[in-house]
Amino acid sequence: MQQPLNLHALVRALIVTAVVSVTAPAPVFAAAAPIVFASWGGTTQSAQQKEWAAPFTQASGIQVLMDGPTDYGKLKAMVDSGNVQWDVVDVEGDFAYAALRDGLVEPIDYSVVNKSQLDPRFMSPGAVGSFYYSFVLGYNKASFKSGAPANYADLFDTQRFPGKRTFYKWSAPGVLEVALLADGVAPDKLYPLDLDRAFKKLDTIKSQIVWWSGGAQSQQLMASGEAPLGVFWNGRLHALQQTGVDVGISWNQNLTAADMLVVPKGAKHKAEAMKFLATATSAQAQANFAAETGYAPVNLKSAALLPADVAKTQPDQYKATQINLDMKYWADHRDEIAKRWYAWQSK
Amino acid sequence: MSNAVSTVAEPRVSLPKVSAGFRRARLVLPALLLLIVFFLLPVLSLLLRSVLDPSPGLQNYAQLFGSTTYLRVFGNTFFVASVVTAVTLVIGFPTAWLLAMAPRWISKLVFAILLLSMWTNLLARTFAWMVLLQQTGPINRLLMWLGVIHEPLTLVNNLTGVTIGMTYIMLPFLVMPLHATLRAIDPTTLRAAAICGASRWQAFWRVLVPLAMPGIASGALMVFVMALGYFVTPALLGGPEYMMLAELIAQLVQQLLNWGLAGAAAFVLLLVTLSLYAVQLRFSGRAPGASGVH
Amino acid sequence: MLLDFDRLGPLRWALLAVGAAVSLFLLLPVLFIVALSFGDSQWLLFPPPGWTWRWYGMLFSDPGWLDSLITSVELGVVVMVLSVVLGLFASLALTRGTFRGRALLKAFFLTPMVLPVVVLAVALYGFFLRIGLTGTLVGFVIGHLIIALPFSIIAISNSLESFDTALEDAALICGASPFEVKWRVTLPAIRLGLFAAAIFSFLASWDEVVVSIFMASPTLQTLPVRIWSTLRQDLTPVIAAASSLLVGLTVILMLLGLVLKRGKS
Repeated sequence: MQQPLNLHALVRALIVTAVVSVTAPAPVFAAAAPIVFASWGGTTQSAQQKEWAAPFTQASGIQVLMDGPTDYGKLKAMVDSGNVQWDVVDVEGDFAYAALRDGLVEPIDYSVVNKSQLDPRFMSPGAVGSFYYSFVLGYNKASFKSGAPANYADLFDTQRFPGKRTFYKWSAPGVLEVALLADGVAPDKLYPLDLDRAFKKLDTIKSQIVWWSGGAQSQQLMASGEAPLGVFWNGRLHALQQTGVDVGISWNQNLTAADMLVVPKGAKHKAEAMKFLATATSAQAQANFAAETGYAPVNLKSAALLPADVAKTQPDQYKATQINLDMKYWADHRDEIAKRWYAWQSK
Repeated sequence: MSNAVSTVAEPRVSLPKVSAGFRRARLVLPALLLLIVFFLLPVLSLLLRSVLDPSPGLQNYAQLFGSTTYLRVFGNTFFVASVVTAVTLVIGFPTAWLLAMAPRWISKLVFAILLLSMWTNLLARTFAWMVLLQQTGPINRLLMWLGVIHEPLTLVNNLTGVTIGMTYIMLPFLVMPLHATLRAIDPTTLRAAAICGASRWQAFWRVLVPLAMPGIASGALMVFVMALGYFVTPALLGGPEYMMLAELIAQLVQQLLNWGLAGAAAFVLLLVTLSLYAVQLRFSGRAPGASGVH
Repeated sequence: MLLDFDRLGPLRWALLAVGAAVSLFLLLPVLFIVALSFGDSQWLLFPPPGWTWRWYGMLFSDPGWLDSLITSVELGVVVMVLSVVLGLFASLALTRGTFRGRALLKAFFLTPMVLPVVVLAVALYGFFLRIGLTGTLVGFVIGHLIIALPFSIIAISNSLESFDTALEDAALICGASPFEVKWRVTLPAIRLGLFAAAIFSFLASWDEVVVSIFMASPTLQTLPVRIWSTLRQDLTPVIAAASSLLVGLTVILMLLGLVLKRGKS
C-alpha cells in the first residue's frame, strides 16, 4: 500500500537532483579540495611531484600535497579508523596485490584510468603500476679488474670474486629468486619458490652478506667499497654511474619488479585520486619520469617518447634473459615467506 | 606563634601530616591524567588485539613462545641490552666520578662535551658511526696503518656496531644523574672512613659505592630499559643476526601488519621489564643514606 | 678523600685518562659530521675527494629543511617546559607523598620508556585519527610529552631523593613561608635534577623519530623525520650540513653563556 507514495517521492527526488546537477555551477577550480599523495620520499618522490602532480594540478586545478614516507602501519590505522589521510599511495608490488584482498584499498576505476596502454605485468584490480625497475647484478669495476662477475652464480663464488656481497634486507621478491637461479633452477620453474633450497644456497655466503635496507644505503655500500658486489635496483646503480662511481652492471637474468599506486579504502577524494592515477600512468608523464629517474615506465607507449640516451639504460632493452618476479605468488604467500625469511636471517 | 626554640625538635609546625600527604598526592594528577587518556587507553586497546586479533584466544602468545625465532629475538634483546648497560657503566662511572670532583674547568669542559654530543641529532650521530666504522672507514684505516690489524675488521652491521652506537647514545643518560648523586655525597663521610682506618680500596667499595648506589641503580636501569626498547640505532648499525625486539615489532606493525602478534610481543616485553623493575625495588629498597645527610 | 681530587694521587691520572678518552669518544662523531658536511662527494666517503660548500647551499635553498628545523625547536621547547612542570609535580607526589601504591604509580609512569615506541606510535596515531588530532602541533606535543615524561620524573625524583627535607623544616622554623621554602630552598637544591630533566625532555622530543613519522603531515614535519627519510632514500651530506649547523649553533650558544657568566661575576 505504501508503494505509490514511495514512487512519487522517488521521482521527485530524481527530478530535484537532475535540476540541481544541471544548474549547479561546475566546480570552481580554486575550490576543489587538494588530494594527498604519499610516496617514499627523496628524488623519486620529487620526480613524481614534478612529472605527475604538477601537470595534474595544471590540467585539473586540483592541488596535490606530498606526504610520506609510505608506511603500511599508518595506512592500516587510517583505514581502520575511517579517517583516511591519503588519497593515492605508492606501495611495493607484492603489498599492492595483497592489499585489495585484505580490504585496504579501493578497486581501480578503469573507466578513468586507461587500461589499454598499460603494461599488463603491472596492473591489477586494486593497483596500477607506478614505475618498474629491475634487480641487477652490480659490481665495483675497480675491485674486479681481472674478470668481472657476469651472472648470479658468480655472486656465490667467493673464491673468484672475494669481498662482501650486498642484498636487499627485507622479505621481498628478489633475493630468493637470485639464490635459486644461481643454484641452477630454470627461470620458468622458479615458482612455487623452493625456500629450503634458496636458504641453503644463501647459507654458503651468509657470513659475507651485508644487507641494504634502503636504496640510499645500497649506493653508499657500493660507493664506499664496503660491498664490491651485490644485487641492486637498476636505477640506483645508474645514479651511481652518473656521479662518477665506476660501477659495472650485468643485466643477465635481471628480475623485474614494480612499485604500484593504490587508493586507500575510504579515501576522501576517490574520484580525484582516480583522475590522478590516469595522469600518472599516461604515456608522457611516465616517459618524463623515466627520463628523470632511470626507472622504467609502465605505459607501453612511453618507450617511443624517451630520448635515445635514456632508452639505452631501460630494463626493456634487456628483455632477452629478463625474468618477471611473480607478484601474485608473493602476495599470496607473503606472510609465510616473511616468517621463514626473518627466521633464517636471525640465525 | 609558639616559642620557636621549644618546638625545634618537632617536625613542621603549621601543617598536620595527613592533609600534607593529600596535597602532595594531588600533584600527580595532571601527569597521571595525561598518561591515562593518551597512553594507557590507546595502548591497552592495541594490546587487547593480542588476544582478539585475528580471533579471540591466546594463539598469538602460543605463536610467540612456540617459535624459536621470536624467543631468540627476545633473548638477543636482553643480551644486547645487558652488554650495553655493562659497557656504559664501566665507562660512565669513572666519567661521572671525574665530573663530580675534578677542578671546575675540567668538569665544565667534559660536561660541555657531553652536552654537545647529546645535542647533535641522534640520527646524524648514528650515521656518523656508520661511516666511521665502515671497512673502508677511518677507524679501520687507522688501525691498519698502525699495523694493529692486517684485514679490516667488521665493526658495523653487527653486535659490535650496535654496542658502540648504543653505548655512545646512552652514556650521557648514565653520567648525568650519576654525577649528581656523587656530588651530593658528603666528603666528610669518606674522611671519616679514612680516619677509621679504611684503605682507599675499602673506602671505595664499602662507602662510596653504596652511597652512590641509588644513582648507579637508577642510571643502569634507565639505560637497560631504554636499550631494550630501542629502535633507531640497532636498525641502522646492527645486523639481522642480533635483531632486537623493537625492530621485530616494527616489522610486525608496519610491514606484516600483524598487530595481534605485535601486541603480544610488546606485552611480554612490558611484563618482563616491569618485573625487573619490581625486583630492583625490592633489592635496593631505600638505602639509609639515600637522602644524603642526616 | 676519594672525592677530593687533590688527594687522589696516581688514581687522578687514571681518571683523567679515562675522562680524556671518553671525551674523544664523544666528540669523534660530531667532528666527523662537520668534516663530512664539507666533503665533495655525494657519498659519505672519508677522506672526501675534495671540499665544497654546496651542501650548505642546498640546505638553505630548500625551505623544507628550515621549516622542519623550526618545528622541531618549537616542539622541543614546549615539550621541555610541560615535561619539567608535570614531572616536578609528579615527582614531588611520588617521593614525598604518603599514599599507597606509590611504587606502582612510579612504575606506571616509566612504562612509556619500556614500551617499544612503534607500539605507542601506532596506538596513539589510531586514537588521534578518531579524534582528529593527527598532523596538529597539539598532537605532536602530546606524543612527545608522553615519551619525555619518564626522563623528567627519573631525573627529578633522583634529585629529590638526595635532598634532605630537614633543610626545608629548618627554613620554615626560621620563619620562611611555605612558598619561599619551595622557591628558595627546594628548587635551588634540586636544580641539577631540573636541569637534567629539561635537557632530557628537550632531547627526547628533538631526537624522536618513530612517533613523529606517524604524526607528520604534509605541512608539519620535524627534523628527524626529514633526516630519516633522506637517510633511507637519498643519502647526501646535506644531513651532515644540517647537523653541523646545529652543532655550530650550540657551540656559539655555549660560548655566549660562558661569556655572560663571566660578565656577571
